[in-house]
Amino acid sequence: MRLVLATSAIALAPASAFAVDYLSAEQAAKLMFPEAERFESHDVSLDAAQMQKLDAAGVRARSARWPVRVAQRGASTLGYVVVDEVVGKFELITYAVGIGLDGAVKQVEVLSYRESHGHEIRLPAWRRQFVGKTAASPLHIGDDIANISGATLSCSHVTDGVKRIVAVVDLARRSGALP
Amino acid sequence: MNRRLHLSTPLRRTALAASLLLAATCSHAQTATEAELARKLDQLAAELASVKAQLQQMQQQRAASPQVTQAAPAAPIAAAAPAPVATSRAEPATVLSSYGEIIYNRPTRHSEMAQADVRRFVLGFQHRFDAKTKLVTELEVEHAVTSSSDPGEVAIEQAYVEHQLAPTWAARAGLFLMPVGLLNENHEPTAFYGVERNFVETAIIPTTWREGGLQIVGSFDNGLTLQTGISTGFDLTKWDASASDGRESPLGSIHQELALAKARDLAVFGALNWRGIPGLQVGGSLFSGGASHGQAGASARVTLWDLHTRWTPGRWDLSALYSRGSISNTAALNAPLVGSATLIPQSFDGWYAQAAYKLWTHEDYVLSPFLRYEQFNTARSFADLGPGLTPGAGATERAVTLGANFQVSPGIVIKADLQNFRENKDANRVNLGLGWSF
Repeated sequence: MRLVLATSAIALAPASAFAVDYLSAEQAAKLMFPEAERFESHDVSLDAAQMQKLDAAGVRARSARWPVRVAQRGASTLGYVVVDEVVGKFELITYAVGIGLDGAVKQVEVLSYRESHGHEIRLPAWRRQFVGKTAASPLHIGDDIANISGATLSCSHVTDGVKRIVAVVDLARRSGALP
Repeated sequence: MNRRLHLSTPLRRTALAASLLLAATCSHAQTATEAELARKLDQLAAELASVKAQLQQMQQQRAASPQVTQAAPAAPIAAAAPAPVATSRAEPATVLSSYGEIIYNRPTRHSEMAQADVRRFVLGFQHRFDAKTKLVTELEVEHAVTSSSDPGEVAIEQAYVEHQLAPTWAARAGLFLMPVGLLNENHEPTAFYGVERNFVETAIIPTTWREGGLQIVGSFDNGLTLQTGISTGFDLTKWDASASDGRESPLGSIHQELALAKARDLAVFGALNWRGIPGLQVGGSLFSGGASHGQAGASARVTLWDLHTRWTPGRWDLSALYSRGSISNTAALNAPLVGSATLIPQSFDGWYAQAAYKLWTHEDYVLSPFLRYEQFNTARSFADLGPGLTPGAGATERAVTLGANFQVSPGIVIKADLQNFRENKDANRVNLGLGWSF
């Protein structure tokens, strides 16, 4: 339980504006699909049956609406980028997941990290663990993803988030909601 | 705030152009001297600089506040400002947190000594003032009830401000946990194995060890984290030679916890941790500071260092730590205490190795049995006081802890273990615990 006493609207602007924001969503998308000519915005809406399907697969869908950036070059689709936020221990972590046409994770980027501990989740070595993971992968700390000592919650929550995004994109592609 | 700040940018640009035109017309109509023209140009330049500064201020305000950006989407400045991340939501500025432990200890040979205790109940909050600055606090109550006739204790465990200076560097000031060992900064019950915290990191490293001061934190892209700073330290004038506290935890008996802390002598500290390979942490720390504050019989320094590692390959969680502390000039400090029960040791040290295995998981349930072996000596050596006067070194205690953590949910843990001691067999015990952290 977290008691929210007040809210402060803080823009997640690129690195130049705030020291702990490392990339903008646009920068991350271009980094993941440098060959893309454009990114089309698609809003994936999950219906109740799809949410239940995710739940049955052990993935908490959390939201029914998922904005997906579809990387395009000419008429062909290159892949998908989803930007999401999870709470680490106390603070929001913003991250982006790039998924190829094979449904496998291409890249994970941390856009913003504000916890006092666990900055190491930004390191390429930790993020590389996700590359190649699909909806069929365990994507679980202690199984196929190694933890970072002292940042267990941040690691677990980002890992759960990547698992959720991989599952949502997989489901959306199967249902024809994504090209 | 200047009223002109509220003018829309196109309007201000028009006003600026008009004033430029007016100034030019005026100067043309008059038979102005060159000096007058120069003065007017200077005036215009100053005006332009002021407008530029206001423009920059507005841009910064818009970049820092998405609400302002949304309120004036047509403004050219908004179009030039970087687009915020699509999913950005309002973040809570203040977050409440808590952790606690309720413990049952039952000595196997002395069941009459069995105890149940709310070991600690901690409430904390974190408040973010802006994107770079936050306050972190924790208030702790130990042993449930605090009054003149109860055993409880109330303490501020953390109260510091952290400010991000650059992507790599942050500064902390206030009362903070010392970056030492594996447990001190991660001491919530969900973060360690066993009902009780390990002995090395309570008897040698006085967890939960905090000091007041200034700390710089550097998080580097190669996986290194550097923490260094200047802080308050220990107080050797508190040493009670007639009590056993100093024997149980030499530094725990002379810590100050920023409660009217003597601060004539300050300390320096540093810690380096490397987490460049997922699942692996290797690090060490060093603390050294004066502890006599011009009040003890002799000037003395407390030094403590440690080396530690933790490796979590797959279902395994393996860790090891060695720590050693020393106090200088103890011969002079102990001379007037000769004959007392507990003299000040010259050195004290300990190490442990621990292995835990995630044996069974189902949804959020996780059962992790563990085994820990520890060796520690709170009085490894005493300074020479002369024949017959120098106390003998303390016995090295060896403790084996075998048990399991059962995670009910990521924030709730139930623990059970058995502890066996080589020296003080009367202390052998069974422990049960319930802990939470959020």
